[in-house]
Amino acid sequence: MNAQLQYEVEQFYYHEAYLLDHRRYEDWLNLLADDIQYAMPLRVTVDNKEGSNINENMTYLDERKPDLELRVERLFTKSAWVDNPATRQRHYIHNVVIHEGEAPEEYHVHSCFLYKRSRSSEIETEELFGEREDVLRKTEGKFTIVSRRIYPDQPVLTVKNLAMFL
Amino acid sequence: MNAKELKQVKEQLKEGHFPQWMVTDPDIYKLEQDKIFAKTWLFIGHESEVKEPGDYVTRMMAEDPVLMMKNKQGEINVFLNSCSHRGTRLCTEDYGNKKAHTCPYHGWTYSLDGDLIGVVAGNKVFGEKMDKGDWGLRPIPRVESYQGMIFGNLDPEAEPLEDYLGNMKWYFDIMLGRSDGGMEVWGVPHRWVAKANWKMTSENFAADPYHVQTTHRSAVELELTPKDPMYASYGHQVVLDNGHGINVITSETGRSRLKYQGMPEDMWPMFERNLTENQQEVFSRVTNFVGGVFPNLSFISTQSGSEGNGHNHLNFRVWRPLGPDKIEILVWFMIDKALPYEFKKKSYRGFLNTFGAAGTLEQDDTENWARIVEASQGKMARDRSLNYNNVINYLMGFDNLEPDKEFPGPGTAYPSCYTDHIARSMHRYWLSLITADMEEEEKV
Ligand code: FES
Ligand SMILES: [Fe+2]
Repeated sequence: MNAQLQYEVEQFYYHEAYLLDHRRYEDWLNLLADDIQYAMPLRVTVDNKEGSNINENMTYLDERKPDLELRVERLFTKSAWVDNPATRQRHYIHNVVIHEGEAPEEYHVHSCFLYKRSRSSEIETEELFGEREDVLRKTEGKFTIVSRRIYPDQPVLTVKNLAMFL
Repeated sequence: MNAKELKQVKEQLKEGHFPQWMVTDPDIYKLEQDKIFAKTWLFIGHESEVKEPGDYVTRMMAEDPVLMMKNKQGEINVFLNSCSHRGTRLCTEDYGNKKAHTCPYHGWTYSLDGDLIGVVAGNKVFGEKMDKGDWGLRPIPRVESYQGMIFGNLDPEAEPLEDYLGNMKWYFDIMLGRSDGGMEVWGVPHRWVAKANWKMTSENFAADPYHVQTTHRSAVELELTPKDPMYASYGHQVVLDNGHGINVITSETGRSRLKYQGMPEDMWPMFERNLTENQQEVFSRVTNFVGGVFPNLSFISTQSGSEGNGHNHLNFRVWRPLGPDKIEILVWFMIDKALPYEFKKKSYRGFLNTFGAAGTLEQDDTENWARIVEASQGKMARDRSLNYNNVINYLMGFDNLEPDKEFPGPGTAYPSCYTDHIARSMHRYWLSLITADMEEEEKV
């Protein structure tokens, strides 16, 4: 993997995180392919010999683009109380590892996230962390997200809802 | 709670008030642990979660870790998930399949029946006094099920589960017993922690369709739900035994847009075979069933999708208390085994969009529940003498709503879901439990 590609993908993720942190969700939607598959399966605790400790049969989210568009539209209504007062949030994206995908200009990218949220004047803050597996496609010099799977590390999430995008 | 406070609380409940200090008071919380969660039937899981011999799941009954497993005979037993040797948590996984469970501390092994079958170096180190027969896993004193729903009770003297559920069973039959083969849990439950008091979340599902028009107004803004602020009121609020309750929400016309919540037409004869005429009548009209089994099991059976393309979805949830202002939420998505896979998949996605940790309806609920406990912990709200009018309001339907005798289901049915009848019944039952042995000692 060349240094230029690594740089470009990381810059893309920083830009994405910037849009999400600043609640520019409509702009964020433009980074998603029209046929995006966006899912968040459950982390579970099982006997380690079984290998994976992800349960793919149940997800917190299993979205296509119209679903995500509706979620964004909802957050911009007056009465989406999860975002009213406005959420303060940070997406920290790191440990980006890139592999060649099946098609030219397609990449499988693994990254880790730490998400922090502050609501109103509450002293306690919420956090969520885990990893993401993306398929990115580069067309005309621009990346789009074709697929994203989000794997939280906690089997019992310590956020009171999943209103954020990860 | 002293005698004077108890007397005052009773008077307040009679007036349709609930003293705000009782929502998050630590002493009340302790009483709830001892007198409610140790004495009532708590939901553990569904029989479809342990299909084969050796299948197990671990759960919490309030504060007690339990291990539910199926033995070779196909019986489901539930034990305290704590090794009988030194009390170590025996099974650390959420679910799986095992022939036996071995403790990671000193290696004692238990069979699928909970019997102690292996003691490392047993004969060499233990003498006559050690009888393996005495040291099996400790069973949950009472475990019973209804329509595949498995409940446990720590009180050996508790009334049978079916008596406790009482007339809720009739509605369980509709939601869980309508299809041949019953229901199944899809995957595993969602689990997350929220800032809330368990009473307020139980009450939200069992007794409060009134919140829908404001908490979920974003759905109205998006034109997903009707503009009419009364839309969640149409139908009946039904007060059931032992603090249970259900809202049978229809629509302005008294009927649902889709018969049998949009379930495929070829299943209708099956429903008609499995349900009584009165049950069919209620099921054919309902848009949403939303209700609760006291203390902390709730459910909603609803439908998503556009015109002519509706699909129902059902979820059960436990509000596990983690403290006066904290709960773990577990949500099971359940679906009729008899449905075709494609329909199940649509129902599943309808569920994910609306309920569960990421559900657009659920999100705004969690936000408001947090705001209740945040604003209920100060000196004014927590004043036990009620000097600051610190009571919360349950006056809806107090003196302006008569029961509808024509309603075809059991329970006391009120012809509107915007009423606090179930909430008041929950409060009365709650008070009777937490004060159960108190009255003799402290005559009021
Ligand atoms: S505590 Fe389990 S074997 Fe000793
Ligand atoms: Fe709600």
